[in-house]
Amino acid sequence: MNRAHVSVQDITKRFGPTVAVDGVSLDVEEGSFTTLLGPSGCGKTTLLRMVAGFHHPDQGDIFLRGIRVTDIPAHRRNTAMVFQEYALFPHMTVGENVGYGLRLRRVSADEATRRVEQVLELVGLAGQQRKFPHQLSGGQQQRVALARALVVEPEVLLLDEPLSNLDAKLRVRVRSEIRQLQQQLGKTTLYVTHDQEEALAISDRIAVMNRGRILQLGTPLQIYHHPVDRFVADFVGLANFLEGEVSAPGQVRMEGVSLTVPDGALPGRRVTVVLRPEAIRLHARPPEEVANVLRGYVTAASFLGTLARYWVDAAGRHWIVDVPSPGEGLLSGEVYLEIPRDRIHLLTET
Amino acid sequence: MARPLLESGHRVVVMPMAVARWGEIRRQTADPGLLLTFLGTAAALGLFVLYPAFRVLVYPSLRDYLAIPESLRWIQAARNSLMMMVLSTISATVVGLVFAFATTRPDLPGRRMFRGLAMLPLFAPPFMVAFAYILMFGRQGLITRSLLGLQANIFGWHGLWLVQTIAFFPLAMLIIAGVLDAVNPSLEHAARNLGADEWTVLRSISLALARPGIAGAMLVVAISVLADFGNAVIIAGGFPLLATEAWFRMEGMGDLKGAALVVAMLLIPTVALFLLERFWVSRRVYTVVTGRGSRIERPSTPPVLKWGAVAICSLVSLLVLLVYLGVVAGAFTTVWGRDWSLTLEHWRLAADRIASLWSSVKIGALAGVITGTVSVVVAFLTSRHLPFRGVLDFLAVLPGALPGVFVGVGYVLAFNATPIGGTVWVLAAALAFWHLPMGYQAASARLKQIERSIEEAAVNLGATGLQVLRDVYLPLLVRALVEAFAVSFIRAVTNVSIVIFLIAPGQVVATFVILNMIQNNIWGAAAALTTMLLLLTFASIGVTWIAVGRTVRSPGVG
Repeated sequence: MNRAHVSVQDITKRFGPTVAVDGVSLDVEEGSFTTLLGPSGCGKTTLLRMVAGFHHPDQGDIFLRGIRVTDIPAHRRNTAMVFQEYALFPHMTVGENVGYGLRLRRVSADEATRRVEQVLELVGLAGQQRKFPHQLSGGQQQRVALARALVVEPEVLLLDEPLSNLDAKLRVRVRSEIRQLQQQLGKTTLYVTHDQEEALAISDRIAVMNRGRILQLGTPLQIYHHPVDRFVADFVGLANFLEGEVSAPGQVRMEGVSLTVPDGALPGRRVTVVLRPEAIRLHARPPEEVANVLRGYVTAASFLGTLARYWVDAAGRHWIVDVPSPGEGLLSGEVYLEIPRDRIHLLTET
Repeated sequence: MARPLLESGHRVVVMPMAVARWGEIRRQTADPGLLLTFLGTAAALGLFVLYPAFRVLVYPSLRDYLAIPESLRWIQAARNSLMMMVLSTISATVVGLVFAFATTRPDLPGRRMFRGLAMLPLFAPPFMVAFAYILMFGRQGLITRSLLGLQANIFGWHGLWLVQTIAFFPLAMLIIAGVLDAVNPSLEHAARNLGADEWTVLRSISLALARPGIAGAMLVVAISVLADFGNAVIIAGGFPLLATEAWFRMEGMGDLKGAALVVAMLLIPTVALFLLERFWVSRRVYTVVTGRGSRIERPSTPPVLKWGAVAICSLVSLLVLLVYLGVVAGAFTTVWGRDWSLTLEHWRLAADRIASLWSSVKIGALAGVITGTVSVVVAFLTSRHLPFRGVLDFLAVLPGALPGVFVGVGYVLAFNATPIGGTVWVLAAALAFWHLPMGYQAASARLKQIERSIEEAAVNLGATGLQVLRDVYLPLLVRALVEAFAVSFIRAVTNVSIVIFLIAPGQVVATFVILNMIQNNIWGAAAALTTMLLLLTFASIGVTWIAVGRTVRSPGVG
């Protein structure tokens, strides 16, 4: 039997002629933080909204703890959601907003007051019950929305791009707070974002979506280092792509250069070499006794604080290379690229 | 071979859409409360909007319609109405444009004052401008006779032209100013930055962007001019017009069929203008209202233009002030034009007729409650993905195209023979549904500001459809409800065009009494009663303002 907390099985949803979600299956383990990651229009929000019950799938089923909830209307599923635009009730105070779900559940006034107090404390808004949403900052509104969802003790917490309305610095802070809170409460969480960095930072597992399908499901490390295809590699992080042919076991030949790569691909196959910018080492002089060294010229360099990014022409191609922030000046002119064999990821073309 | 392929491909695309649509309809109509409300509202709109209009159109026979060209008087009235429409629309729009321009330039001295003064005619009863100008510029006119010693005759088309210009330019101003205000100042700065001088910016950017707004303003003003009954009946004199002709037919000759024919003739141009505005002009508005106020100041206005606008606005503002001053002065002057000493005698006379004011208030309150409720309910229903919601929307805005006299005749034909015929209920219903478009559109706009996700958040937390309505929509729509009530109340209390047809023998309402007094040259008491009506209007505006400020604790955030 399926022991997943939330289980989506072979779900399809169409809006008119467009297929928003195309036969997706996904299991979310109890207490895990799973992120749906993809570009806009990939179907991630639609999938989340189907779990909440706002859309009815055309095909497939949704299970919560093994119980089929596909036909249960949204207001009777215990799947509290944090909306992208927060959707706080503008005519209710913070206390009334957070307590609304409890009121609908006929929780006694005393207990409701206590639980609202507790959850506001949890999100760092203790004592703000009497304020109205418009009197709060964006970050505070975000926390109210989170508190409102948490207070009803939902089966699963759903978050739809909750950080997209915050500025960059706050976004980083709030996301780690959300993660801490989730781990502290052990709440099963489904999170939607288009921000790959956010997804990597916050998730136990990431489902990368495109055109209504899940392309890859895995831990952040798996997704980043072992993408299953070019779309995933390109969408998550930055990558150099080189197309070539396996000439011998552990050897890929492409125009102008031949690389030693990890074993695995059969000779004669067309492959794409995926190289993360930080996997490449940059030297001012040719390094000795190492394989995969290319001579190149720096065409542009940019200092980004924690690292320096170089655009290098080598072997008739443009390369992007990231080097941990140098203490002294940036390199220029002639340089040597060293490509460690074990940092190369191969995509076999299908 | 290409064609059949294309067609079958087309069908394949359409099928899932139709299926999805039906699924949606099934799910929505599964809520019995919603379905009943929908059917009840549709029935009410059918009965009180569509049915009276239908009665007017079918009352005369085809032969009666065909005989229209043979009636010289009607042809004359139609021609006159169209002439007034052209004249007054152009002049009111030009004045409205100048005011709109002046009040949207931050560097124009007195712009707030001009805007405030220009709003005044909107609150005046629909006959008041004409009445005041008879007092000011008529044969006994304070200005024409007593001050200038002229033998002026304001009755006729030229007097009506002046009156309609002053009465309707505020409408044009509001519409055009709305569009001009929405022109992002950074566009003007961008044009300056690219090398355009102030004049070029104005011509090629600001006014060019406002063009659809100006066209829309002209259409709205044109409808108002065509339907204008109150001013015409007082000042047009022997100049036949369609709006007044219907009244003369019915009152003077008891010719209901003739009245129906005339208002049917009047309906053709107003509906045409209305459809033009709704489906053509309003879709060509380039400016986007972001709701986010731009903090950039507009570029400065060329001095010639600035002071030219100030001059025109000052002159027109003076004419507007005369409307109010004239009526208030008339209420305290012993015998207008002969004996300028002050008196309170007219107020005693007006106080005798105070009952008419109370019954106006009662009918107005009734109409206000109906308009407010129906507005909010229809707005809520049309915001759902319900089948035929377009029909509901159309019926709720349609009264905007109907002249008051048309509605008046329609309700006479539809309800006089029924048990409720001749009661205040018919009058209140007529006024309520005639004012529905304003309340409905305001409520709709308000609903659109409420993000769908707010409702979803409530559902997500466990609220049923009814709980969503109670906890989310009603509190957020209170403001729209109060405003719809207030607008409907004020307009009902000051209405003449519908009241005059539906008032039953023995009933009195203030406007009807005033109109009779003016026509019998009892100016002093008419002025005193009109002043009371004005006080009532401004008091209700004040009360509404306070009520709305209290009930709505937050602006439309979220």
